[in-house]
Amino acid sequence: MSASVVRATSEPNFDQEGSRAILTLSGVTKHFGPVAALTDVSLTIERGEVHCLLGENGAGKSTLCNVIFGVHQPQAGAMRLNGEPFRPADPAESLACGVAMVHQHFSVIGTMTVVENLMLGQVHGRLPRRAFAGRIAAISRAYDLAVDPDRRVDDLSVGERQRVEIVKCLIRDPVLLVLDEPTAVLPPTEIEALLAVCRKVAASGCGVVLVTHKLAEIAKIADRVTVLRQGRVVDSAPMAAADMGRFVHAMVQRDISSLGQGLAASVGVDNRAGASVETRPRLRPCPGGKDALLVDAVSFVDPQGVQHLDAITIEIRRGEIVGLAGVEGNGQSELGAVLAGLETPSAGRVFIGDREVTGAKPKVITAAGAGVVPEDRHASGCILEMSVAENLFLGDLRRFSRAGLVRRGPMAAAAADLMRHHDVRAAGPLAPMSSLSGGNQQKAVLARELSIDPLVFLLAAQPTRGLDIGAVEAVYARILSARAAGAGVLLISSELDELIAVADRILVIFRGRIIGEQPAHPSARETIGRLMAGEALKESA
Amino acid sequence: MTGEQIGLFVASSLRLAMPLLLAATGELVSEKAGVLNLSLEGMMLGGAFAAAIVSLATGTPVIGLLAGIAASLLIALVQAVLSVTLRANQLVVGIGFNILVLGITTFLFRELRGAGSSDLIPGLPVWHIPVLSSVPILGPALFQHSSLFYVGIVLVLGTWALIAHTSFGLAIRAVGEDPVAADKAGIDVGRTRYLGVLYAGGMAGVAGAFLSIADLDTFTEGMTKGAGYLALASVIFGNWVGWRTALACLLFGAATALQFLLPNLGFAVPAPLLLMLPYVLALLAVGGLVGNIRTPSALSFPFFRGQ
Amino acid sequence: MPSALANVGRLRRPLALRPWTVLLPVIVTCAALAVGLGLIAATGASIPRTVSAFWIGAFGSSYAIGASLNRAVPFALVGLGFILAAKANLTNVGGEGQIAVGGILATATALHGADDLPRGLAVAAPLLAGTLAGALWGGIAGLLKVRRGTNEVISTLLLSFIAVNLVYWSVGSVNLLRKPQTSASTQPESLEIPDLTKLPMLSSDPSSQLHIGLVIAAIAAIVVAVVLTKSAFGVRLRAIGLNPLAARRAGVSQNLQLLALALAGGLGGMAGAIMIQGDQYVLKIGFSSNYGFDGVVVGLLARGSAVGVIAGALFFGFLRSGGMSMEMMARVPSAVVWICQGLIVIAIAGSSAWLDMRRISAGRRP
Repeated sequence: MSASVVRATSEPNFDQEGSRAILTLSGVTKHFGPVAALTDVSLTIERGEVHCLLGENGAGKSTLCNVIFGVHQPQAGAMRLNGEPFRPADPAESLACGVAMVHQHFSVIGTMTVVENLMLGQVHGRLPRRAFAGRIAAISRAYDLAVDPDRRVDDLSVGERQRVEIVKCLIRDPVLLVLDEPTAVLPPTEIEALLAVCRKVAASGCGVVLVTHKLAEIAKIADRVTVLRQGRVVDSAPMAAADMGRFVHAMVQRDISSLGQGLAASVGVDNRAGASVETRPRLRPCPGGKDALLVDAVSFVDPQGVQHLDAITIEIRRGEIVGLAGVEGNGQSELGAVLAGLETPSAGRVFIGDREVTGAKPKVITAAGAGVVPEDRHASGCILEMSVAENLFLGDLRRFSRAGLVRRGPMAAAAADLMRHHDVRAAGPLAPMSSLSGGNQQKAVLARELSIDPLVFLLAAQPTRGLDIGAVEAVYARILSARAAGAGVLLISSELDELIAVADRILVIFRGRIIGEQPAHPSARETIGRLMAGEALKESA
Repeated sequence: MTGEQIGLFVASSLRLAMPLLLAATGELVSEKAGVLNLSLEGMMLGGAFAAAIVSLATGTPVIGLLAGIAASLLIALVQAVLSVTLRANQLVVGIGFNILVLGITTFLFRELRGAGSSDLIPGLPVWHIPVLSSVPILGPALFQHSSLFYVGIVLVLGTWALIAHTSFGLAIRAVGEDPVAADKAGIDVGRTRYLGVLYAGGMAGVAGAFLSIADLDTFTEGMTKGAGYLALASVIFGNWVGWRTALACLLFGAATALQFLLPNLGFAVPAPLLLMLPYVLALLAVGGLVGNIRTPSALSFPFFRGQ
Repeated sequence: MPSALANVGRLRRPLALRPWTVLLPVIVTCAALAVGLGLIAATGASIPRTVSAFWIGAFGSSYAIGASLNRAVPFALVGLGFILAAKANLTNVGGEGQIAVGGILATATALHGADDLPRGLAVAAPLLAGTLAGALWGGIAGLLKVRRGTNEVISTLLLSFIAVNLVYWSVGSVNLLRKPQTSASTQPESLEIPDLTKLPMLSSDPSSQLHIGLVIAAIAAIVVAVVLTKSAFGVRLRAIGLNPLAARRAGVSQNLQLLALALAGGLGGMAGAIMIQGDQYVLKIGFSSNYGFDGVVVGLLARGSAVGVIAGALFFGFLRSGGMSMEMMARVPSAVVWICQGLIVIAIAGSSAWLDMRRISAGRRP
């Protein structure tokens, strides 16, 4: 294969080696109002190849997938599928043409069973449950994707749900399969299985597009790689002829060696070998061993009777960063809710510093010195429709009120100060939160939580999810500075590499309990991975 | 309590429950698809009026029934355009329709019949089920209802089967639970919701027609008297499950029937308290004071692709 | 567990004041009125006679104007309550019921002991009682909402039906509020409230019946407007309405929703008390005669603006007076007014949704 790199051109450039091309994009451009999401994107997917679409968060990968799948329509450019013009107006058309997509946020419906989900949109009239179960079984066997047809999707694990999602695609016998960030939700042990499935699908003649921002995993499977940055194609080459450094550079415009371990982790690169190890001032935990956080045998059962936390115990000292590793859905969200004061534990006690805050309201918890950066900033971190200033000071309106009336001027000024200090970029303190980019929204949330004085404990749940590398850097810097100021930090993340890079030690949560602790060292990665999947540790060191 | 009184009570309960049941079952389909029709009251009233007027004009109640269905389908169609296509606020539209339909039916009724007129209208025939209706006490209570009653039962059962066992029912459920996922599976969310609303409209039309040409054989202004809201409450009470909704309707029907039973039994309960009873029960029900409820997740959220 | 029904009919943010925002409702209203006139013509009534009857009833004399303004007061109060609750994303459609319980308590207080008080208190006590009754009624819905996530649309509506029947009940028994039956034809209604408890008139002109309810409504409007736009309470209400989870995290109590519904109910109860103490003087079945529902419509159409409520209330007040006069003098059924109202509501809802959609498709990022 030649090492030619496809450069973006303005004229349509339909691939003349068309017999192998399944999908061809030429000059595709998509913008939303004034924001350009994709500019002049051209690429070719060939039959039987696994084509990786690489780019950091915000580069436009999801938008590109959505354009291919018919969720959005491009303003310019053309697509061809098997040589025929391809302009899907909605997902139904895409599906009808043989394009199937495994979405990042699964598109299976939780309250329905597996077989019902698979029949959706595929059958008319009476539901042929038995016949369909048979088809599911056939595909399961062919691609090694074990699914149980009669279980409710809500009851399945994340990995199982993803398998259902994949079977849902394969049952339509597609010519092109697009997978959007499929490894993001899987524990390390299941990633191999997923990549094997991709191989098999490609081998059967289907084209496979794998979208990701994690390089290391893809190295094992990609045939070709196309790199997107800020909505443009900046590089495209066969995997065999290229190396990691080149792709990292294309993705984030920095040398791989310049990335600290934390940032390297965020692009899924392991730069142990040959890269300079970032030296960071490792503070020893405060002498005297004062606790920042003590979670003492806390259990949490939700109103439906499902137990999410099972006598979990966590101790965090001041001046240390403790990572919490685990596959999503093992109680992290509920732990975050309890620590934020949004849920009351059914048993156990919680202490922030010296104060007991079991079942206390959020206001009390904040007063005790606890800051919380929630995993879903749009759900409980900030109010998108309100201004940045209002978001920053909602909990502290009294400071700016006189006789019950809010003095907007001083509030805006204070907000502007805080924003400057934390590099939150927005049109102004009165701009609506929704107008900020994800990274700036997160910086604003951090600004708010870090201004708690004194900050005894900081909970950061999935803080870098969906952020571009600049924002990731800023988030890490702030977490480290919180530690330097003497706070204890609990960093919850499903990205193992991030934890290894940033934390001092790592706890693993599984089914609402801590099932193991490991040092935050790359050598422990495999052990942690197994713990995340629930495997009990053997007693050997 | 004599056998006759029991029989009468059962018969009344069923008779009063049927319009609620029809409307609620139709609304169940719409709500499972994610559209709340606060205009149910208006659709029922419109159906009742059209059925009455056309039945009177043609002398044939069956044509009246069809007219009733057509009238409420028309209302449902406009409601669907506003709620699904234009994504207007679902309850503003609902309240607006209730006022509008009340106005139109009152206006037309006065114009066509003169105020205060309540002559009997040709009504649908009563069916006596052979053999079974001769059973003492319960026979007449269960097996001597209007023909529309039995047709109604078939419609209700048919709806349950539709929801659980057909692709349409599957699409309805998907769209109400997670329209984004349904869209990605290739389901036309808008079209499915339209059909859901129209279904509710059709059933509401039958319910209204039941009131005017099967039950009372007359039309009075505003004769639905809040039945639409009781139907809405019973869907919530029934937790969006078919048979539980039916039980709720039966309960409300029985509560209303108590108005007639208790005085006969010698209990001097003030009329207004009995009138209040169905609403109090409904309030207790939606207050979740009886069991936990699980709403279709996308209920009343308009759907925008690309979110 | 928060109920998804909690978001039924989630009200949009009030639009920035663009020309179309004001123009569209006006155009729609005129169109609806034109339809109404068309219907009137279709019934064979004479348009000039109808219009003149309307005019006389609404504006024709100081009595008419006074009556129209008096009618606007409950519309305004219920509408203000509506937008207050709406700030917290709560839809209070129970105005009718809140008026009803307000009237009951006001009558009961006026008839039982209030006339022993000095003049000022004699007027204030029933007003206060009515307001509290309404607040309680709204508070029930608020409690259900906060504790159980119950959809407040349904709960306030059901409470309305219950309350209207409570009026029926309270004037049905002599042991409650019914006046003593002196003959077979004694109506089920209460005694007339003592003169001391009646609302004082605003003008010394004997033909005008304009009472201080107008002043009360004006003050309420100003207070609500300030609370909504400038107070910390208003900011918190808005927060809890937009994102209850994030608001709670910031320390805003969920109970604010209870408070919002109670306040809205209180305004409704106040309206009921004013209706008894200012206009009707007697509690009878159906005294609320849909003022509550119309007030809700006023609130819905105002889209969060207190000025909009006042404008809508005035419009509906004059509309009702004119409509009643139309019915009496020109034999035109008041159902025409309902038709116009229904058309206005639907058309405004549809057209503003259409406007919103155009704005959204003009530039929105997922």
